[in-house]
Amino acid sequence: MSTTSEGKWDWNISAKTSFWSWGIDEIWSYRHLLFSLVRRDFLLNYQQTILGPLWILFQPLLTLVTYVLVFGKLVRLDIGNVPPTLFYFSGIVLWNFFSDSFGGTSNTFRDNAHIFSKVYFPRFIMPVSVISTHFLRFVVQLLLFIFLIAYYVLFRGFAVSYNWWLLAFPFSIIFIGIIGLGLGLLFSVLTAKYRDIGNLVGVAIRLLMFVTPVIYPLATVPERVRWIVQINPLTPLFELFRLSLLGEGIVSVSQLLYSVLFMVVVFFGAILVFNKQGDKLIDVV
Amino acid sequence: MAETVIQVEQLSKLYRLGTIGTGSLRQDLQRWWNMSVLRREDPFFQLQGTETAAAHNQFLWALQDVSFEVEQGHALGIIGSNGSGKSTLLKIISRIVKPTKGTVRGKGKISSLLEVGTGFHHELTGRENIYISGYTLGMDKQEIRSKFDEIVAFSGIEKFIDTPVKRYSSGMYVRLAFAVAAHLEPDILIVDEVLAVGDADFQQKCLGKMQKVSQSDGRTIIFVSHSMQAINNLCDKAVWLNKGIMKESGRASDVINKYVANIQKLNIKQVWDNPETAPGNNYVRFKRVELIPHKNNSEDPLDIRTPLTIQFEFWNLSDSIVLSSGLILNSYKGECIFDIPAPDVRCHKGIVSGECHIPGNFLNDGSYYISITIVKDKAVGIYNFEECLSFEIEDYRPDLNWYGKWKGVVRPNFPFVLTPSKSFVDETYNV
Repeated sequence: MSTTSEGKWDWNISAKTSFWSWGIDEIWSYRHLLFSLVRRDFLLNYQQTILGPLWILFQPLLTLVTYVLVFGKLVRLDIGNVPPTLFYFSGIVLWNFFSDSFGGTSNTFRDNAHIFSKVYFPRFIMPVSVISTHFLRFVVQLLLFIFLIAYYVLFRGFAVSYNWWLLAFPFSIIFIGIIGLGLGLLFSVLTAKYRDIGNLVGVAIRLLMFVTPVIYPLATVPERVRWIVQINPLTPLFELFRLSLLGEGIVSVSQLLYSVLFMVVVFFGAILVFNKQGDKLIDVV
Repeated sequence: MAETVIQVEQLSKLYRLGTIGTGSLRQDLQRWWNMSVLRREDPFFQLQGTETAAAHNQFLWALQDVSFEVEQGHALGIIGSNGSGKSTLLKIISRIVKPTKGTVRGKGKISSLLEVGTGFHHELTGRENIYISGYTLGMDKQEIRSKFDEIVAFSGIEKFIDTPVKRYSSGMYVRLAFAVAAHLEPDILIVDEVLAVGDADFQQKCLGKMQKVSQSDGRTIIFVSHSMQAINNLCDKAVWLNKGIMKESGRASDVINKYVANIQKLNIKQVWDNPETAPGNNYVRFKRVELIPHKNNSEDPLDIRTPLTIQFEFWNLSDSIVLSSGLILNSYKGECIFDIPAPDVRCHKGIVSGECHIPGNFLNDGSYYISITIVKDKAVGIYNFEECLSFEIEDYRPDLNWYGKWKGVVRPNFPFVLTPSKSFVDETYNV
């Protein structure tokens, strides 16, 4: 029995877990599952609602109204020369994308324990489907944002001079998505092992928003405490997003490199941990 | 010889018992501190030292050193009582959980059905669920599309295909879910007790489908069930697990016989000395029940030729009462083979004894149990002694080259002969 050579077999299950246990081709073979999961999440969110998919736009718009009233009229935060509507909307949609991606994927094991314990497929499919859903929602919101910018430029005399930075905004979105996914994967493993952390993630995301230039621009942060905001690797990406689309933001190359480095480390680290722990976690969740 | 498609080698799985969630962060940190910082041994988990840990009820071996092979096109049945590790074994082979030790090697695409309706979502329609469940189980788009009509027809819910499954009856839900699963065409199919759902008709349909899959399509099946009948019909080979250890493996009928004999404890004599504590009630108390096989040699097994005598005695506690008795023989499946009444008799306080004789060459091979009822005044049951005796009858066929399970509830050798007519043969063939 033991004389059979390893090469003869198509697959092999043993106690060893590897950091890179499946390839891209395996995920590719499950692409239809991925698409139908994204479709499902979309359908489920808006089934039996009157406004249906319009909620994708209503949610950030309602938040926008609140922010403009509270931070613009009551607190009167200094946000530079950008119209408040555009400023807050850019922050809201980008931040929602990040927090949904992070929060959504961090529950991968908890939410899917029932299905993970009954059937095998690359576990990676689930977080990817979550982030794809949020990305699609974000794209719809982004279109509205661009429409709003056009409206302000054409009818409200908002003067913005676009330059080469305009080409950078897709990168800021992608990088933020990847950081969200990376952190989500990392925390999905942690929350599966230690339930307490699940509660922490929600609070952490909310607190993180205050050290990210979402409701204020980096430029108005006092020099003395600016380093706190700048430690946050999301800061340069938010600034980059605003710089490219609204023409205002503080971006330096070294800051961007810091963000990219953070993204690479978190993302690949998370994939390795997710892979390594994913098989073992089924015993625990 | 057919090719081996699955090879399970010394597979073991250790589970940690108790509430894993709480306190494990502290334990993990402690472990990390001890191992990485202080360079000490792992205080919680040592693979060599697990015997001591198991003694502390901290760990449970769900599987221990299980090895077997499955050949292409064969169906393997896995049997065992609850908690014997059957499902764990299936989960390891399906790549859902990792083994603690050992390996599983295999060839070809594997699909597992560990529950009915994996991947189903209540809010989605039947149509959408067929796709999403199919994808989850590993089908591709082409495959589902080509089989879609077949799946719907199999489930018999054509009218409701565009209704969300949350509005289905549970029967419809199960039928649709199984229909998707039944149309999977992997090289290796792993099935866990899914036949426990649905009505008898549908179960039959599913079994038939699985039989077709394994016998005519040449696919390999690993099948867990509590229904010995299903395993017997479907599987060529079987593995019997008992508390994580493989007790038997081999031809399905052999393994099933041994398993059944084991769970059915042989009980052919019971005696009670004290009428206060003996089984019974205010009317009767049993003193003795006994099954006496009349064997030529005491070492001979109890087989289909052996005549049997059932004797019993009981204390009758009431004076001048008309008693009769019924002797009921059941097969292990619960089927009643016969129910013999004894004629009425007027009894006084004291011991009453009964005897019944079952001739040889009457019962088929199998496991049986006997219940005795005591009846007063021709109609009023006063005590029913359930399963007071149990026994097993072995098969015996001296000169037959056929080894399949002999059919029939009973197996009497009534006179039955074929007589060739010499003259007829001559007339026919000499013309």
